[in-house]
Amino acid sequence: MSGTKQGFWAIAGREIVRMQSRPLYGLSMIFAPLFCFVFFTTLMREGLPESLPAGVVDEDNTSVSRSILRNLDSYQQTEIIRQYSNFAEAREALQKNEIYGFFYIPKGTQEKASSQEQPKISIYTNSAYLIPSSLLYRDMKTMATMASAAVGREVLLAKGANMDQAMGFLQPIKMDMRPLGNPWLNYNVYLSNTMLPAVLALMILMVTCFSIHTELKDGSAREWLSLSGDNILKAVSAKLFPQTMVFSLMALIYLVLLYGWMGFPLHNGFWPMFAAAELLILASQGFAVFIASAIPSLRWSLSLCTLWGVLSIPISGFSFPVMGMPAALQALSYLFPLRYYFLIYVDQALNGVPLVYSAWFYVAMIAFTILPLVDISLLRKAAHEYTYLP
Amino acid sequence: MWVKNLLDVCGKELKRTLSDVGVLVFFIIVPLLYPLLYAYLYSREVVHEVPVVVVDECRSTTSREFLRKSDATPDLKIVSYCSDMEEARNLMRRHKAYGVIHIPAEFERTLSEGRQATVNLYCDMSGLLYYKAMLSGCTIVSLDMNRDIQMQRLSGLSDWEKDAMTMPIENEYITMFNPTNGFQAFLIPAVLILVLQQTLVLGVAMLAGTENERRRSGALILGEEYGNPMVVLAGKGLAYLLVYGFTATYVLCFVPWLFHMPQLWQLPTLVAFIIPFLLASIFFAICISFFVRDRESCFLLFVFVSVPLIFMSGISWPTSNMPAFWKVLAQLFPSTHGVNGFARINTAGALLQDVRIESISLWILTGVYFMLSLFIYERMYRSDKMPGVEFVMAMRTRVRRDIRVAARDIKEAGQELKEKLEQRKKN
Repeated sequence: MSGTKQGFWAIAGREIVRMQSRPLYGLSMIFAPLFCFVFFTTLMREGLPESLPAGVVDEDNTSVSRSILRNLDSYQQTEIIRQYSNFAEAREALQKNEIYGFFYIPKGTQEKASSQEQPKISIYTNSAYLIPSSLLYRDMKTMATMASAAVGREVLLAKGANMDQAMGFLQPIKMDMRPLGNPWLNYNVYLSNTMLPAVLALMILMVTCFSIHTELKDGSAREWLSLSGDNILKAVSAKLFPQTMVFSLMALIYLVLLYGWMGFPLHNGFWPMFAAAELLILASQGFAVFIASAIPSLRWSLSLCTLWGVLSIPISGFSFPVMGMPAALQALSYLFPLRYYFLIYVDQALNGVPLVYSAWFYVAMIAFTILPLVDISLLRKAAHEYTYLP
Repeated sequence: MWVKNLLDVCGKELKRTLSDVGVLVFFIIVPLLYPLLYAYLYSREVVHEVPVVVVDECRSTTSREFLRKSDATPDLKIVSYCSDMEEARNLMRRHKAYGVIHIPAEFERTLSEGRQATVNLYCDMSGLLYYKAMLSGCTIVSLDMNRDIQMQRLSGLSDWEKDAMTMPIENEYITMFNPTNGFQAFLIPAVLILVLQQTLVLGVAMLAGTENERRRSGALILGEEYGNPMVVLAGKGLAYLLVYGFTATYVLCFVPWLFHMPQLWQLPTLVAFIIPFLLASIFFAICISFFVRDRESCFLLFVFVSVPLIFMSGISWPTSNMPAFWKVLAQLFPSTHGVNGFARINTAGALLQDVRIESISLWILTGVYFMLSLFIYERMYRSDKMPGVEFVMAMRTRVRRDIRVAARDIKEAGQELKEKLEQRKKN
């Protein structure tokens, strides 16, 4: 039995030497994930963008319009940087990206107000930039409503109503939004929690597939297999073991970064997310081995692994929900390990629901891990017979 | 003479490109299929009928009216009525619902007393679009009902109320350039530009990798016999430009048309902008292809870069709020300028003068990357080594040496400390 053990460690040791022999492995297993970890967490460190540039156009230029302008108090997220003399000028500024939105007060506002007609302010935003545009809209809508309410409230208060009565008349039903889990609507929480593992999973898929198939390409596969006593399962697991360790270290780094350093919500503690990250690594490796065995060509299996890794980002549903996708893609989303990681993260870190509700997601990841059992014998065959075709 | 050489190189490179299936995957198949997949993914633009549950503690006509109207909005769909919050929370845990509308018991009474009544909305934050759907759905209903309530009260007519009714200024919202305010029209232009740049990088890197593999076994690299790197570089650039003329037309014009996305571009503007973008991408690709040692390593080195690149472009997280370091780094990539220019030309109907800054930046990048490639080619002709790989190797040796030195220093310092401690103990 000691002979078996030696075989495992001999292959693992051989893999460490192989990994060190080329900067490619260091770049793709350590540098690439670290770069993305730092990139995403620092890019959005504000959490919510502040002082987004906006403008105003006052074509009326009367006492009423000026009082509206005065009442457009600045909000934390919106900063009115300029007043434009007409609509065309503001539109141009929007096209040039100087501002993301503007208020438009048309000619005749005062006239309408005094003739008992309801004047109207328009809010324009550049929705080609969806996030700043949505945030700006929310602020600008409130600003416009408040400015108009301020005018109405002053009248009501002057007529002897108290504040309660005034608000009860101006806005009888009020909405109280309570976002669960992420009350600050923090973008960093919502992007980084999926982007960091997504990049890691992408690199795992590619590196796993690449490192197995280079054995075939370089003609060293037979030597590799013979070290395991022609046991392909042992050969693969021993070869991937050092990589699993490196990736686990990367996973630990991002977990500490997100939940320790950045202090993102982690309701059920460290272990459920640590288990999810470890399973994401194993599931990605399992999936890559499955593909590498099924397709005996470095280029094609690597292409498929890459496609899977890149596609898993939108299809995990973290930015655009899966339920909004066409039915075919909804079904397809079950085939991506990252999708299950995302569901676990929502349950365990963001919402803190009991572990049992996420049990199936963990089981699915385990299924990906053991997926290679289906076709790994093909890899053994390929290792014996394969010749590389560019 | 050099024109003939240039065309010669261009022809050979075209032949090499078109006969290499691996490269064709990047140059033709990925740009052909990937944008379709992406556009299809976001084809419904927004989320409709987000499932929500209701906890109605008031059970009055007004509360029921509110709920009926919420259910009727395109944003929301009431899937269940719960007796208490615990039951509602349970449904959310099982992902049957993404929000709760909670109407408190005193809702109706508060309204009849003329005070402000509150509706509580609890929302799952796993996707911001759920939040958006709930907020916009319920806001529309509340505005609608508020108006009715005001009208009812006005029939009782008190002076101050009448006055106030005439005063409030209405507001309306107009989204420019992306009329459905959807995901597709916002994200796809950026994806399209990025697909062009990244497939160029991957394909050119694969060609360079193949060349390097052959070179290691003693073969000449393409164009070496002409002895003039400028001609070789220009010839290769022309070859890629010819291929990408077709690819870009398909990706930038056909795909948006197929999915009925906004397409407000003017042809001269689009052409005048895309040419420098393609040139900058081509020479950028040639430049970084020097780091590639064999055919397949391009996957591991360059694919992941797409993810940060799309964020660097500022299409998602606004450029105005990026840390300065990333803002500066982003300038080095053609995609940053390409995305910003194309998004505005395509979606906002901008003209060339509106994207002047982006266009000039792309020409500058073209020049910079051309000169850099030229410099590397010259060195490559003179020596047998690959400058990019050579550089990485040298850096690695240096880092390893530094680590060894640091480790030795730490060890020595530790020993010194130990000795000192022992001495102190003795004393």
